[in-house]
Amino acid sequence: MANNKKYLLTIDSENAPGTLYHIAGTMLRKKINIESLHVAEIDPKTHTSRFKIEIIVSPELIATLTKQIERIVEVVHADYKETK
Amino acid sequence: MRALVREGADTIFGYPGGAIMPIYDALYDYKDRIRHVLVRHEQGAAHAAEGYSRTAGKPGVAMATSGPGATNLVTGITDAMSDSVPIVCITGQVTLASLGTDAFQEAPIIGIVTPVTKWCYQVTRAEEIPYIVAKAFHIAKSGRPGPVLIDITKNAQFELFEYDPEETFEFSPRISKTPPSLDHEVEAAAELLNTAKTPYILFGHGIAISKAEKELIAVAEKGGIPMASTLLGLSSVPVSHPLYRGMLGMHGNYSTNKLTNKADIILAVGMRFDDRVTGKISAYAPNAKIIHVDVDRAELDKVMKATIGIHADAKEFLQRLLPLLKKRDHSAWMSEFKKLDDEEQRVVTKPELYPKSGKITMAEVIRVLTEKTKGDAVIVADVGQHQMVAARYFGFRKPDSYITSGGLGTMGFALPAAVGAKMGNPKREVIAVIGDGGFQMNIQELGTIMQEKLPVKILILNNHFLGMVRQWQALFFEERYSFVNLDNPDFNKIADGYRIPNELVKDRKNLSKALDRMLKAKGPYLLDIYVKKEENVFPMVPSGASIDEIRIK
Repeated sequence: MANNKKYLLTIDSENAPGTLYHIAGTMLRKKINIESLHVAEIDPKTHTSRFKIEIIVSPELIATLTKQIERIVEVVHADYKETK
Repeated sequence: MRALVREGADTIFGYPGGAIMPIYDALYDYKDRIRHVLVRHEQGAAHAAEGYSRTAGKPGVAMATSGPGATNLVTGITDAMSDSVPIVCITGQVTLASLGTDAFQEAPIIGIVTPVTKWCYQVTRAEEIPYIVAKAFHIAKSGRPGPVLIDITKNAQFELFEYDPEETFEFSPRISKTPPSLDHEVEAAAELLNTAKTPYILFGHGIAISKAEKELIAVAEKGGIPMASTLLGLSSVPVSHPLYRGMLGMHGNYSTNKLTNKADIILAVGMRFDDRVTGKISAYAPNAKIIHVDVDRAELDKVMKATIGIHADAKEFLQRLLPLLKKRDHSAWMSEFKKLDDEEQRVVTKPELYPKSGKITMAEVIRVLTEKTKGDAVIVADVGQHQMVAARYFGFRKPDSYITSGGLGTMGFALPAAVGAKMGNPKREVIAVIGDGGFQMNIQELGTIMQEKLPVKILILNNHFLGMVRQWQALFFEERYSFVNLDNPDFNKIADGYRIPNELVKDRKNLSKALDRMLKAKGPYLLDIYVKKEENVFPMVPSGASIDEIRIK
């Protein structure tokens, strides 16, 4: 798609098995390729993990995708910004 | 078991097997509190749980063993996900020690159902069970409802732990994904509606889910706004209501589709602009500002960009909107509906409902069924032409009266879903309306109906075709009928085998009396009706076309 851009998704979630799989599956549904991925626990007290994922999609899709990821029960918050 | 009882579960649709035997052993002691219904295939259990959920107003429960038992649930789970139906599935699993070893009847069910459940979880220790069961029910029914699955390893089923019946669990709105409280958007929505010239309400399943039927009607009446329903919204408003104009979408009404494109303000509540409703998106509602209300934030702006997107429960929104609306009347706008409705009546409806000669039509069966039930029955429809005909012509009077597989379009849904629907609300007459194709997809559930002596009425609209596919082949594939004709068995003999009273109707003159006998029967009854073989359902918006291009013949 011509208007595709690179976005950095930041997702905070419970540190629980299967969450990465669920997030990746939400992208797979739209045949989105993951360009880069980093995950680590950011708060050992609440067992919160932070995902940083780079993908290339359209501006319309990134908004819906982020909301669909936020719909995952384990996900606390998801946000995105455009990157170079 | 105690955790289930506490969540209000009184019925389980299930099928035992190796990896769930300890739970079934415990179930043996709970026969007085939990009615277990032995289905004949796990897919039937999931659909029955859906049917139960739709009429009982609480999550249905399906249970299966590991491996094939669990994978057989998947179609029903996906169906529940598409149609936002709360069901709780419990599957057995091999022991914790054997996970990932390709053990006998091991399937990675969590991996399989993650994309098609609202939530799923694998329990590997018994002490997790009370919290997880409570969480599963909470998630299934809160926010936008949906299916959940709990996979319990066999060791956890054997383990003993101290169950504390007093223990309570609280869940944050973050887990249930319930919307935040409403703000000033309601005023903005009211302002748009109060100045509209051709306002239009489109409603969907969200109305039934949030039990907002009265609120919807009150809003429409005060604003003098015509309204139309999606397939899953049907029966939320009685068809006799003067502001109710019919169904939207591919096989919806002529006026309801055409005039979507003349509306200046659209209030869309609890619907998600499915492609079967919108047709070609770029030509959908070009003149309208859209107020979109949905309990799932991800639905807002997904398909149609809303002028005002409101993340809210339908009932709460409509309650807040009502006092802000001005009392208005749109009689000129209403008469535009009338004009197109009259045309549809003349060209499509009348000839279908009152044929003078030839074979029985599906539409006339539904008409006579409406007359005889006074529109009071629960219709459980399968998928295909008969589903659209039942949707178009049954005269619904009460909410929660049309149960069908909408989003996923699952053939084989109706027979098991009717089992669940009858058990969820035994007081109501439940009639499964099924095509001859879909009937054979879960025909084994006749065994469940027999064993439970369930007074479910089965109405087969039999055209010896996969009718909807045949219709498409007729209209869009130059009548190249590719693998759509069905050589059917004798359904009456099959029903005899299951000791279910039955009848075959081929002639119009026998239709009325046969329906009487079916409705009078105390127990289950199967009525096989031979209908016109090559009937097409109209109006129709051709796939990929604009709703403006709706064909009336």
